[in-house]
Amino acid sequence: MLEAPRPYAVVPGFFPDGELGRLGTFDSRGPLGSWAMDAARGTDEYAAEAEAFEVLALSFMDQLYAAALRMTRNPADAEDLVQETYAKAFAGRDKFTTGTNLKAWLYRIQTNAFINTYRKKQREPKRTDAEAVEDWQIARAASHTSAGLVSAEQAALDAIGDIDIREALAEVPEDFRLAVYLSDVEGFAYKEIAEIMDTPVGTVMSRLHRGRKILREMLADYAADRGIVNHRARPGEGSTDVR
Amino acid sequence: MSGKSCEEALDRLYEFIDNELPPEELRRVSEHLQECSGCDAERRVNEKIKQIVSGCPKESAPDDLRARVLAVIAEARESG
Repeated sequence: MLEAPRPYAVVPGFFPDGELGRLGTFDSRGPLGSWAMDAARGTDEYAAEAEAFEVLALSFMDQLYAAALRMTRNPADAEDLVQETYAKAFAGRDKFTTGTNLKAWLYRIQTNAFINTYRKKQREPKRTDAEAVEDWQIARAASHTSAGLVSAEQAALDAIGDIDIREALAEVPEDFRLAVYLSDVEGFAYKEIAEIMDTPVGTVMSRLHRGRKILREMLADYAADRGIVNHRARPGEGSTDVR
Repeated sequence: MSGKSCEEALDRLYEFIDNELPPEELRRVSEHLQECSGCDAERRVNEKIKQIVSGCPKESAPDDLRARVLAVIAEARESG
């Protein structure tokens, strides 16, 4: 009877019954190969560190997969992307500094892999920031719509379903979508998003700004299409009651 | 109240919502939001959008992906 190797014991559900059978090509010490090899290569501390790295890295798989789905917008590519992310992460494990943010490091690897490998395959033509600015001519908001219109919009947002939100987000141009995802879903700080996307903080802010404006427009359109609201309470339209 | 403070509050609204404002600006924007219902309505709607995006159910990695990743790690160990 084979025993699950130690790292997976602390990741619930990671190593379900029967998994070993499907991974039977690995040696008898389990799918990770030999821990003894690590011990021989270095010290107990080395092995412990390698183990901690694996456990922690693997604990982000669900999140990386969900993010990969937002990036690639299809499950097959998302799986390939996550696999590539882990391959690169483990091959470049020495470049990771223990004690720094592993989650952000993995996201950075995945974002790079997506840009370099998968973006080329995407049907969506890459829109540059400049094009998007023309399309969505969004000046810095110097005024707000009336509070009443916004209340109607808020009520409409309450009625919007998760599927509509996913669809709307999928329609947001890529760089903007990713910035919004990293901020809103993953809760990364601007500085972390800048590192992940390899771009200045100012660019992150402008991507977030534009992405959210577009998302808001789309959600308003979904609400109107679903008959949730009678009129389109579109941001930026209607009375401007700047005080 | 001046249009200028509306302008600042709206300009910094996302930073406010994302908790990225330095203390002094945070104080100014917070004060303005308390007294301007129009700007505060904008804050509420944008916060709501952030909240519904973050609350969207997330997919779990499929089992076959877990198996593939384990294989990748095993490979990395062998070659490392």
